[in-house]
Amino acid sequence: MKSLNKNFTAVLFFVIMQAGHSQLSAATGEGYDLDKIMRTMLIITLLFIAFVIWLAIVYSEKNDLNGDNFKRPLKAIKNYMMRLTPLEKEQELLLDHDFDGIKELDNKIPPWFNFLFYGTIIWGIIYLVVFHVLGTGQTQSVEYSEEINQAAIERQILIKTGAFLNEETVVELKDAVALSEGKEIFSKNCVTCHAADGGGIVGPNLTDDYWIHGGGIKNIFTTIKYGVPAKGMISWQTQLDPKKIQAVASYVISLHGTKPANPKAPEGTLYVPPVKQDSAKTL
Amino acid sequence: MQAEKFSYDNQIVKQFMIAALVFAAVGMLVGLIIAIQLYLPDLNLGIPYTSFGRLRPLHTNAVIFAFVGNIIFAGVYYSLQRVVKARMWNDKLSQFHFWGWQFIILSAAVTLLLGITTSKEYAELEWPIDIMIAIVWLAFGANMFGTIIKRREKHMYVAVWFYIATFVTITVLHVVNSLELPVSLFKSYSLYAGVQDALVQWWYGHNAVAFFLTTPYLGLMYYFLPKAANRPVYSYRLSILHFWALIFLYIWAGPHHLLYSALPDWAQSLGTVFSIMLIAPSWGGMLNGLLTLRGAWDRVRDNPVLKFMVVAVTAYGMATFEGPMLSLKSVNAISHFTDWTIAHVHVGALGWNGMLSFGILYWLVPKMWGTELYSKKSANFHFWISTLGIVFYAVPMYWSGVAQALMWKQFTQLGVLQYPNFLETTLQIIPMYIIRSFGGLLYFSGLLLMFHNLLMTAKNGKFIKDEETEAVPYDREADKLQRGLIHRWLEKRPVKFALLSAVVILIGGLVEIVPTFLIKSNIPTIAAVKPYSPLELQGRDIYIREGCVSCHSQLIRPFRSETERYGEYSKAGEYVYDHPFLWGSKRTGPDLMREGGKYSNLWHYLHLEDPRQMSPGSIMPRYAWLLENQLDTTTTASKIKAMRTLGVPYENGYENFANRDLSKQAALITEDLRKSGAPAEADKEIIALIAYLQRLGTDIKVNKAGGK
Repeated sequence: MKSLNKNFTAVLFFVIMQAGHSQLSAATGEGYDLDKIMRTMLIITLLFIAFVIWLAIVYSEKNDLNGDNFKRPLKAIKNYMMRLTPLEKEQELLLDHDFDGIKELDNKIPPWFNFLFYGTIIWGIIYLVVFHVLGTGQTQSVEYSEEINQAAIERQILIKTGAFLNEETVVELKDAVALSEGKEIFSKNCVTCHAADGGGIVGPNLTDDYWIHGGGIKNIFTTIKYGVPAKGMISWQTQLDPKKIQAVASYVISLHGTKPANPKAPEGTLYVPPVKQDSAKTL
Repeated sequence: MQAEKFSYDNQIVKQFMIAALVFAAVGMLVGLIIAIQLYLPDLNLGIPYTSFGRLRPLHTNAVIFAFVGNIIFAGVYYSLQRVVKARMWNDKLSQFHFWGWQFIILSAAVTLLLGITTSKEYAELEWPIDIMIAIVWLAFGANMFGTIIKRREKHMYVAVWFYIATFVTITVLHVVNSLELPVSLFKSYSLYAGVQDALVQWWYGHNAVAFFLTTPYLGLMYYFLPKAANRPVYSYRLSILHFWALIFLYIWAGPHHLLYSALPDWAQSLGTVFSIMLIAPSWGGMLNGLLTLRGAWDRVRDNPVLKFMVVAVTAYGMATFEGPMLSLKSVNAISHFTDWTIAHVHVGALGWNGMLSFGILYWLVPKMWGTELYSKKSANFHFWISTLGIVFYAVPMYWSGVAQALMWKQFTQLGVLQYPNFLETTLQIIPMYIIRSFGGLLYFSGLLLMFHNLLMTAKNGKFIKDEETEAVPYDREADKLQRGLIHRWLEKRPVKFALLSAVVILIGGLVEIVPTFLIKSNIPTIAAVKPYSPLELQGRDIYIREGCVSCHSQLIRPFRSETERYGEYSKAGEYVYDHPFLWGSKRTGPDLMREGGKYSNLWHYLHLEDPRQMSPGSIMPRYAWLLENQLDTTTTASKIKAMRTLGVPYENGYENFANRDLSKQAALITEDLRKSGAPAEADKEIIALIAYLQRLGTDIKVNKAGGK
């Protein structure tokens, strides 16, 4: 009987492990935060440590898994679910099969196995009915449009509260904090094409007076936000939130007049900043 | 009746065993190398033949068809003879099977390294090899059935049922999935396109796991486990129930590889539902295995053979529970395309297939050489080092899979992606890749330890080439079908048994595949989607040759986190000219479905030359040879013709002008590159690949905001 406890520990282990998985699935509906990630990771790791410990216990020479009192109620359930025939009576179940010395017993299929088997079949039928007969389950396209609608609603709220800048409302930032944030974003995302000092590689030189798509905060903001795919400038609006685009655009303006190591020749047209703060747009 | 004297053929078993061991070493070593390449991309030494995209299919094919395949044949040839009490039907056929299979493996190794591939996972081999596989496989089947038919045992043992189901199903799967139109001796296009190709491929791919890695191994378990434990099989009726349930249900579950894809919803749901229903039949095998050990557990502790088998069966139970869970949409939304899948398959491969193989070998070699195992201590050490290896492999992969998936999906409070740069999520999980390769190294060293142990065992003994035995012939008097003993009746009729298995496994495939091909509404057409230009078609074939699909998907799932990152989600109608489909199953790099127009030609040129020029820290290999290699345009006409035969609407006679268009497009791209300062030449392969990449997903690219 000792051995069966081990089987059960094994089965139990799988169940616990899978409980960890289902926790993850519960998390899919909402946003993720690192806390949640860490917790899940921790659970999975602990479970694997438990697995190794379990192996060690099972295979150690002096293990004693007989905590009889503690296990009595569990045993009752187990007996019911397993319907095991005691080993002594095994001979009665022996079939007359003999294949190269391998015999077969006529043990009943454990009831828990049948519950599981027929249970999953019923679950399967319900699943198909819900999704494809009643239509109450969400198909993937419905799920998607709901997700998008929800995001659009949240976006509207952000725009109303002013958290969301756009190319009309953006202004140039000149404070050191914003510029250093801009510099950080620049070195993370822009240097591969525009060089660390803005002198340009694949992309144009950002330090001179010439601009292909217009200078000034509003034009630069627009160029970064939507990109110019035809010229290889990608759109950043899904990668950088508007405040970050504002910061990096301001940083780019601050590069004006610096002396890069290998400046690319000017491209585009001369940009003269408007004298007054009116809405005149160059280009 | 008088007992007849005859002998069992051990020679063929020995041959398959040796081949299995050799290819186990090769397959796992290649696995280890590519695991390391994931953090040291320059480990390919800058040559095409050792780049990740080509080694990855070599690894999977070597471990599945060379290592596991040869173990299956060794085990089947050993156990089948004994449970039916007959020598193999034809020794020459056995030898043909052996040498044919090894020749296939060697051709596979050579062609895959040369980039000759269909790109369909676990079915990468090109059409001439596919034909060889079919012939050798049928020879194996003929030999097996010949042996069963001239058996001296009345009934077929449960192991034999599994062998029969394996043979029948693999035949069907291999033939249907390999239907392809040859363009040249080493190039063909899948008969199916896009969604249909994906469905057929994953019907095959999933059931390659089911009927190559699972059912034959269950057969082996049913022979070697009771033999090694010297215990009766726990429940005969459980054997019957779980066998038929398993083979019937397994075949339906393929679409769970395509959840949230462009596959019709109903087919996806069938994949989910049948996967869940598979839990119990799979566990039936585990149960019968573990309960057979009742009363023998004290022996497990000091018998390395049983230890290996217990962990194998346990790993089987884990993997077959995890699989159905991964088929639930909510879990799949996270796990798909990540290292979680890698962890899952390796629990199955290293745990179930590997450990069971080791157990069998440690039992079989002493038997066949008439001696004791050379060192029990070494075998025990092997057991622990491989168990530890699996843990060191799987835990980091689960961790990195979940972590990366959550980073992909994370939005900031302002509603933009928290980690918009894909590379950022890759760099986070590099430490996990390092630990994983350590796990692989442990497992691999265990294998070497086993080599030594088995070799010494064989040296100490004397190989028994033909094992003499005797048995009473089977008296074939007619017997009637009795109520309550239907299955007993069937066990005496191998051909009827095989036919019934064939019917059982065909149902699921037909129900899913036929409607997807016949009902138009399943693949809504899109007028804007046009065939590839000749240059793009050539570029696509380079993409296939280099195995880009190993790391880059072309399938954007309908999640906001994916459409924000990659653009509009993928529609079935976009793939109608894709022979073969290139959806991929893993995103080691970002999705490329809508790569077209995202970056400049120059960006691609420099990025392919050395990815780290454009993306510092990238783990993609360099493809510098694309800048040197001349594009082979002699194949253009035959490729266009082949595509037209498959239904791609190129005008009649277009093949005669295709190369003119190809040059024109190449000249345009080259001019643009040269203007930006790259020393590009129009006749190089890289121009074709750039043309293809710039085309990707642009047919229905609607809004500029959709781009990255």
